[in-house]
Amino acid sequence: MPGQEDGSSRLSQCNCVALFGAALGLLSLGLPWLSIRSSRLAAGEPVWLVSAIGPLVAGIFLIVWLLALRAGFDTNRERSAATLGAAGALLAPATLIAAGIGSKHLLEAAEPFARSSLSAGVWIGLIASYVLIHTAARSLEGRPALRQTVIWFPVLAIAIAGLSGLYSNTSLAQEFAGNEGRFIQELSRHISLSLGSVAIGTCIAVPLGTAAARSKRAERPIFVIASTIETIPSLALFGFMIAPLSALSYAYPALREIGIRGVGTAPALIALVLYSLLPIVHNTYVGLKEVSPAAMDAGRGMGMSRPQLARRVEFPLAAPLIAEGVRTASVQSVGGTTVAALIGAGGLGHFIFQGLGQAAPDLILMGALPVIALALVVDIVMRWAIARLSPKGLRAEAVT
Amino acid sequence: MIELKSVTKRYGDTTAISELTMDVEDGQLCVLIGPSGCGKTTTLRMINRLVEPTRGAILINGEDNRGSRPDVLRRSIGYAIQSVGLFPHMTVEQNIGTVPSILGWEKPRIADRSRELLDMVGLDADAYATKYPHELSGGEAQRIGVARALAADPPILLMDEPFGAVDPLTREMLQRQFMDIQRRLKKTIVLVTHDLDEAIRMADKVAVMKSGTLVQYDTPEELLSHPADSFVRDFVGADRALKRLSRIPVTTLMRPATSVQRGAVLSESAFAELPRYVWIVDKGTRLLGWADTAGGPDSARWQVDESQGRRVSVLESASLREALSLMLGQGVRNVPVVTDDCKLMGEITLKDIEEATAE
Repeated sequence: MPGQEDGSSRLSQCNCVALFGAALGLLSLGLPWLSIRSSRLAAGEPVWLVSAIGPLVAGIFLIVWLLALRAGFDTNRERSAATLGAAGALLAPATLIAAGIGSKHLLEAAEPFARSSLSAGVWIGLIASYVLIHTAARSLEGRPALRQTVIWFPVLAIAIAGLSGLYSNTSLAQEFAGNEGRFIQELSRHISLSLGSVAIGTCIAVPLGTAAARSKRAERPIFVIASTIETIPSLALFGFMIAPLSALSYAYPALREIGIRGVGTAPALIALVLYSLLPIVHNTYVGLKEVSPAAMDAGRGMGMSRPQLARRVEFPLAAPLIAEGVRTASVQSVGGTTVAALIGAGGLGHFIFQGLGQAAPDLILMGALPVIALALVVDIVMRWAIARLSPKGLRAEAVT
Repeated sequence: MIELKSVTKRYGDTTAISELTMDVEDGQLCVLIGPSGCGKTTTLRMINRLVEPTRGAILINGEDNRGSRPDVLRRSIGYAIQSVGLFPHMTVEQNIGTVPSILGWEKPRIADRSRELLDMVGLDADAYATKYPHELSGGEAQRIGVARALAADPPILLMDEPFGAVDPLTREMLQRQFMDIQRRLKKTIVLVTHDLDEAIRMADKVAVMKSGTLVQYDTPEELLSHPADSFVRDFVGADRALKRLSRIPVTTLMRPATSVQRGAVLSESAFAELPRYVWIVDKGTRLLGWADTAGGPDSARWQVDESQGRRVSVLESASLREALSLMLGQGVRNVPVVTDDCKLMGEITLKDIEEATAE
């Protein structure tokens, strides 16, 4: 009986997320890592890790993933986290580097127009390492130096490997090389479209949220409209824009001169602005409602006028929450802008839809990977900025 | 001077205040007291127009308070509330400087004033100026609330339970400290409380309110000795005689005390005049304790209880209530009155207290 009890408590103490990650990693070793095609559009031939880079390296991968699995069962939290972090931080770049070296070797032996692309094994392996890093980082709050290393080492290693030309032979890199000018153009369109729409949305949503917080009468209609917009699928909303805007531009040709047409930037921008409203309206509303009534009474009683009260007390206190709303809207908008390519507004979605049309997975990745990266970067930068810019008295309050 | 003239406040059909008329003299501390819902806070908030009366007028120094914009009016009236309402995103110094900064004072002047006020409420300016409200204890926050109300040196101060949200010990300390400040500044103060002891301790005049009307407006002594009706009598409680004692300083009934310097040898005649128990002091008239003179004229042979010099005495700033409480606690009929540094000033007897309360 005691043994049984011991067993169940050990099971509840083990790190389930880490076990999932390690299992995923082991699975990745059983999937094809690369796919070699004789030409861009030919069917691919799967290549496993062992044949791509040899049994010795494959064996090392296996051992490291098994170590991670064992660390998942380790009840010593700190030791477990350190092992998981180290495994994840090494496996992420190692997976990509092994795939890069493997594809180089294979292509040297293959026909001149042959292409190699990364397959499921590599992607699953990367996701699995990310899971390990993520769970380790959470347990390593108390050791910031180790934590930062675990997070940034793989990023740095992958970047260096990329810059050294390791992947120049993969088809993704070849697609990129063929479209570099276009890529830069669409990337900057994507950034300006998504962040521009949030900037405009903020200018509209903050007054709306303020009105909702101030007036019972305005509260309901504002929230009904903002949440209804949010429920419309993005594709449908983009579609809705086409008819009225083309009608407008035919009726008033002057509008066409300044770029307002049924398709293109104008409808995309309007739809994205509409999408960004709800999170910002909502957070402005909550932020203003949560301002302490005592602080407001004291401010009024000491002789602040309505605008002074808003400028000195209400908005400074609501600002961190409003900024959180802008962050949510920005991350959401980076994703939403992808669909804008469908109505001719451009952006990284262009590559995704082109890739879908041509059944060229590398082209899809060339659009999708930067969108993910962009969303992550926007999220991290804005979190950092909010933490830095929040008034000191409020920041400390949030910690305690 | 603040004059309320037939002030009535209605909310829909309910009358919160009806026909309230009262004056608060310059430099006086007027306490509004009564059960909850009696309209005391509403009355306070009508003075600085956080609430507008339905009928009647409120004059401040002879001028109707509706003569200027509400926010302009409020800048000339200090305001402190129970929940304090410090601005969490501002430092203590910025909080105190709120009204001066609205009034457009220059930064260095605001900073100087904030530090001066921190000193006044007994907080170390260097340590507290840059703190944020969440770093303060309840008592510190309330002191800063009071400092903030005083920042622009307003002649009038409105306080709604300013010492409410702290433990009884801290409250008494804050009250005492505030009375010291008030003795120096002589502001015209309207203070709302539901704590009768606070009212008795601090007020020049107490206004007892009951469901929107003024029942009695008198000095604390009058209120306790001559309650206007059964409501006030019940409100001040059965122990009103005791409460009245807390208004009377021991110095009013103090009489000279017989003391002997420790180690002195007395002549027979001097010894014969001594009572059985005498106070023993040192060369500097510091009270050491008491002695039983049964041992004869050589005081060195007396039984002296020296351990209790401070414990058996009351300070000159104490009230008769404290003196009586000490007598009852020690089972004695007289207690010595001493200065802060324990020098014997005189004594209070139980008989004198009885006579004072009997009248």
